[in-house]
Amino acid sequence: MRRGLIAWSRDEVPAAALDARVAKLQAAMRAEGLDAVLVYTSFPRPAAVAWLTHFVPYWNDGLLAVFPDGAPVLLASFSKRVHPWIREVSHVGEVRAAPDLGQAAAALLGERRAARVGVVELDALPWRIAAPLAGAGLVDASALYLRARHPADAVEIALAERATGIAKRALAAAAEGARLASHALAAAEKCARLEGAEDVIARLAPDLREDATPMRMEGDAPLGARWALELTVSYKGTTVRVARSFASGALPASWQEAEAWFRRTLALSAMAEGAPGRIASYRVDVPLGTAPLDLWDADGPETSVPLEHGTLVVLSVSLALKDGPWLAAAPALISRRALG
Amino acid sequence: VSAQSSRVLREERRERLDAALAESGLDALVVAGDPWRSDYLRYALDVTPLEGRAFAIVERGAPPRLMVDSPAEAARFARERPDAAVSWSRSAIADAERAIRELGARRAALAPLAAVPYRLAAGPLGATLAEGTALLDRLMLLKSPREIEAVRKAAALADEGYRVFREAARAGRAEYELVAEVESFFRSRGCPENFQILGSGGREVRGMHPPGDRRLQAGDLVTTELTPCVDGYYAQICRTLVIGPATDAQRRAFAVYDDALAAGVAALKPGAAAGDVARAENAVFRREGLGDYVTSEYTRVRGHGLGLYVDARPMLLEDVALVLRPDMTLIVHPNTYHPEVGYFVHGDTVRVSADGCEVMTRTARELFEVSA
Repeated sequence: MRRGLIAWSRDEVPAAALDARVAKLQAAMRAEGLDAVLVYTSFPRPAAVAWLTHFVPYWNDGLLAVFPDGAPVLLASFSKRVHPWIREVSHVGEVRAAPDLGQAAAALLGERRAARVGVVELDALPWRIAAPLAGAGLVDASALYLRARHPADAVEIALAERATGIAKRALAAAAEGARLASHALAAAEKCARLEGAEDVIARLAPDLREDATPMRMEGDAPLGARWALELTVSYKGTTVRVARSFASGALPASWQEAEAWFRRTLALSAMAEGAPGRIASYRVDVPLGTAPLDLWDADGPETSVPLEHGTLVVLSVSLALKDGPWLAAAPALISRRALG
Repeated sequence: VSAQSSRVLREERRERLDAALAESGLDALVVAGDPWRSDYLRYALDVTPLEGRAFAIVERGAPPRLMVDSPAEAARFARERPDAAVSWSRSAIADAERAIRELGARRAALAPLAAVPYRLAAGPLGATLAEGTALLDRLMLLKSPREIEAVRKAAALADEGYRVFREAARAGRAEYELVAEVESFFRSRGCPENFQILGSGGREVRGMHPPGDRRLQAGDLVTTELTPCVDGYYAQICRTLVIGPATDAQRRAFAVYDDALAAGVAALKPGAAAGDVARAENAVFRREGLGDYVTSEYTRVRGHGLGLYVDARPMLLEDVALVLRPDMTLIVHPNTYHPEVGYFVHGDTVRVSADGCEVMTRTARELFEVSA
């Protein structure tokens, strides 16, 4: 719950780009005969509304109502005092005060005579919001949203490049002379936030020889000779994840091979041949819905969601090397290139 | 901050939860959470999600279960809670739904209202949502001595964080740069979470928000509330500073907020209603002809509970009848707009004691002036 810089740069995110995204969703709605689509936003689930409007909440929650034509309406459970700030940092049509989001949405849908209403991630909509809408003919609009959402447009790619650069520099700052987890995290946090990160989420494996699980650090721990840090960095509504393994002294030879293999894998959008060790685990995260990143693929259940070329993804891997565990994560565009 | 104190708190909470389940005739509790509403999960299972959704099933006399939708989070939780059965899948909601069905005839309740998704509430435990939420709310309202100690440490950390904020505040610095300094400081102290908003400027400022790119100017009032946690327990401080020397109007305004904070703290004692504290704060504004500014048009609440969530029960509002009891922890903050100087904040973390309250915040109650 730690928002950093929230500001709308019209140069980086032109209103026309946001309008084009909304238009893409509206075209999909018309094709499926939907009278409205509701998109939920909150502190942990801001991604879909941010993609459409650049609005990122720091508190409370909201529902974006998109109709087949016109600008979206934001129902916001914030007090009216916050509305000028919402207008300053986002591109929406009407902003309505909605202390009870469900009732406000029901009233709005009634006004607009919306009979067939899609909800992005209907199953997950908070019950307190869904209950007053139970009779509104809701259908799940997650797949429809996903078709409009990808592949990444030029604005998203540029923001992801910037977020990746921030994360890489923060990781480099973390490594400078850090002996404790708290030193590394403080340095990374400061670097990322001074560069304008909207949010930074850190998981750290303080001693890879002991355990390679990246942890949420509550308290402190000494850093071992080999450790890893994973940073999830959001920048103006776009989120990437970058992880690096660190070794005191010379980089182990197998780590150098691993880094080369990881770069090839990102460029190929597929696991490259010749991994220098066993792939202990991997996962591919993508902004599929309201979360900044959702799991798309991993060494577990098969995915059923196809992704288009040019979709922004994050690959995270853990390799079991002869020199011990090695972790890495970085974003890429499917079938196009690595970022950053 | 130590793993040991966190473990002791975990065991203590689990004992209290088991006792409450037994008293309610419940066999199990299904608890939902996410990175924002992690408080109920933290109470029930001592876990704090960083991403995705999580559902815990806590059964009397059985190891806890935790279902998440991220393999990275599952690996972390499995390491943090080796006693729990942790699983992940693409839909933790579907997993939780199955697990609820498997509870069969056992008497279970669902919680909390703030985080339970549509699909689970529409299922067989939907009718138990109020009961399950109320059970955990009751437990979280009154703090044990160890929980109070965690809040006390968090209040001390908030004091230090405010010192860092004050030292960072200079003309020419951007709002987000101040927050970068504070967040970095908290990480350096092992604190993983902080809720912070701020405002800067003059009469045009109506509230606080996340940091923007506005640069501070001489004469600005700079407001902030910052809310770090220790062992999961939050404390908050609200203060206002001036870039450069304060004007007479800013000093006069400060006197009103300082009187209101003192009045609120004086009214905070066992047996008083939460609404009494709000009325005591608001009476000072009304006495000064500022009664319009204690309405919802200008302010949200006059304080609130603190604990495993940054904005916990009870809300300090005139119509809240909840009776205060010893060992509740709160912040009293008469924050609101002032027509002469703009939005102004001033608040301390407190604990209701046997005969009044303990003020945990140590930062001086003053209108700080920093060099322009």
